[in-house]
Amino acid sequence: MEKTTSLEIRNLIKYFHEPETFQVLKGVSFTAKKGEFLSIVGKSGSGKSTLLYVLSTMDTDYEGTLQINGDVLTGKTQNQLAAFRNKHIGFVFQFHYLLPEFSALQNVMLPALKLGKLSTEEIEHKAYESLRLLDLEGQELKNANRLSGGQQQRVAIARALINNPSVIMGDEPTGNLDSKNSRAVQEIFKQLAQEHGQTIICVTHDPDFANNTDRIIEMQDGLIV
Amino acid sequence: MAKSTNIQIARAYLTSKIWQTFVAVLGVTFGVSMYIFMNSFMNGVNKTQDDLAFSALSHIRIYNQDNMNVYNPIESQFNQSKTIINILNRKNIQYTTGLNNSSSIVSSVKKQTEVIAVACQVNSSVFFRSGSKKVNGIISGVELEPEDELFKTSSTIIQGAWNNLQTHKTGIILGKLLAEKLGLQINNSVNVLTSDGVSKNYMVVGIFESNLKTMDETKAYLNITAARQLVGENSDYASDILVNIKDRDNTASFIQKITSMIPYQIESWQEANEQLVAGSELRNIIAIAVSLTILLVAGFGIYNIMNMTINEKIKEIAILKATGFSGNDIMTIFLTQATVIGLLGAIVGVIMGYGMSLLITLVPFTIAGLETLPIFFRAQDFLLAVVFGILTTLIAGYLPSRKASKIDPVIIIRG
Repeated sequence: MEKTTSLEIRNLIKYFHEPETFQVLKGVSFTAKKGEFLSIVGKSGSGKSTLLYVLSTMDTDYEGTLQINGDVLTGKTQNQLAAFRNKHIGFVFQFHYLLPEFSALQNVMLPALKLGKLSTEEIEHKAYESLRLLDLEGQELKNANRLSGGQQQRVAIARALINNPSVIMGDEPTGNLDSKNSRAVQEIFKQLAQEHGQTIICVTHDPDFANNTDRIIEMQDGLIV
Repeated sequence: MAKSTNIQIARAYLTSKIWQTFVAVLGVTFGVSMYIFMNSFMNGVNKTQDDLAFSALSHIRIYNQDNMNVYNPIESQFNQSKTIINILNRKNIQYTTGLNNSSSIVSSVKKQTEVIAVACQVNSSVFFRSGSKKVNGIISGVELEPEDELFKTSSTIIQGAWNNLQTHKTGIILGKLLAEKLGLQINNSVNVLTSDGVSKNYMVVGIFESNLKTMDETKAYLNITAARQLVGENSDYASDILVNIKDRDNTASFIQKITSMIPYQIESWQEANEQLVAGSELRNIIAIAVSLTILLVAGFGIYNIMNMTINEKIKEIAILKATGFSGNDIMTIFLTQATVIGLLGAIVGVIMGYGMSLLITLVPFTIAGLETLPIFFRAQDFLLAVVFGILTTLIAGYLPSRKASKIDPVIIIRG
């Protein structure tokens, strides 16, 4: 399979201004290929999370350029970026962050309903399917806050996948899980990268997780080493 | 699709904290219902006041006043300087007062489409005498039918009948208190003495009781023909012509229209009774001020609740944004909540305001011919209450919604 470029950053520089001006990213550049499973590691304060949020398009206060699937995202408006995220990027956070008022199924369906490409029935079918793949059969209609931590994290993954995003990003996606659940999540990511060609970029502290990925990017003091 | 998703989320948020939603709705409900109640009550009071006033007051009065005469032939003749003029014991001439050609004026006024009723009156101040009792008062010679049309005088008669004036040429109808003062009853005779010294006897054929004490104490009705005889005027004479028009608040334009045709003074009720106008205006201002204050307070309540909700949901808003919901979507979600709160509150408020007003009409209040507290509903009050209620909610909901739409997801998610 020919590997095309999925994500590319050029000379990324970012400052924090509070409490005092401090350069977090000092000119970071790298390229991620389609279907690559990447992990970003580094000590806390090395700028790895900051880098991920710039990659995620949520943080727009930076210098340099960000390109995903050939689209230059630097300089787009918040609303354009929101639409782009909806379609092309899936997120998994350290603290699963589901909407507690909604059932597991609804949580998974929401991004797809927002995208509005498929009918509600199709989305629902797809959400059931993806929850089943993540071993959540029977939990679909439970309220999100009544699921265990591991189950919630898997619901969050299902939500990240619902729109078939080309890039999936995780901020310590296994940080809150026991080793069994952690391993399961890693397997899911690996499978997604290999079988569906989705690019996966995860920030992690867990050396096991990092060693299980295709490439490790180590950050130190705002630079890739 | 995306729109309905936003609405679905708004609904979930509204129903998940039903108590909060209920309190917010209640805020609007109180504002709207108080607005309706206050305004309906004030309208009722104003209407009662007006009905009371217009039981003795016509919308327009045409009369001929004895103007102070300034014509001075000597001074205008000898106006050169160095002339000393000294007129001793100068007398004013009595000019004719009243209208000598009432029928032509009545017919020209009646041609106007706005006119409801026109009545001629012959009014004169007189002494009523009965035995050794002597009471001064006003005698009012009236045309029976038009007078009744104007003031519904026949409904104030408590003894005898209004139409007795028609059948008895020497009949008189006295105010209740006047009759008591003179010690008179029906079919007794009363002597009337005019300022010109004419004295005539009349028979009491009726007694009236109006809602105005001064009228009951001083007034008596005669047939207009009898009154003309009493004051010694021709058969086309009237001291006042009273006109009622369809829209009593619109007297100014009507007067402007007829003023060229009528060579006498024309006075609207507003000019004659400025305190009436001022009273009702002031009451209206109070009603609006009170109800708007209530709505404002309700608005602050809603603002607080929306702010609280948004602070509670700040993480979820960040998640929604991270998964692709735009600032506008977030705004739609929270504005939808505000709209639902506003609509629900307004609907319940209308029902409650209506109910509250109906309850108030059951409270007894027996002064000045009233039985219960007055309430008068106007469609425009209900409409404005709903508009204000929803507007307040939207404004109160807009500010927190805008705040929510501007939340930066990165700050929240990173913790």
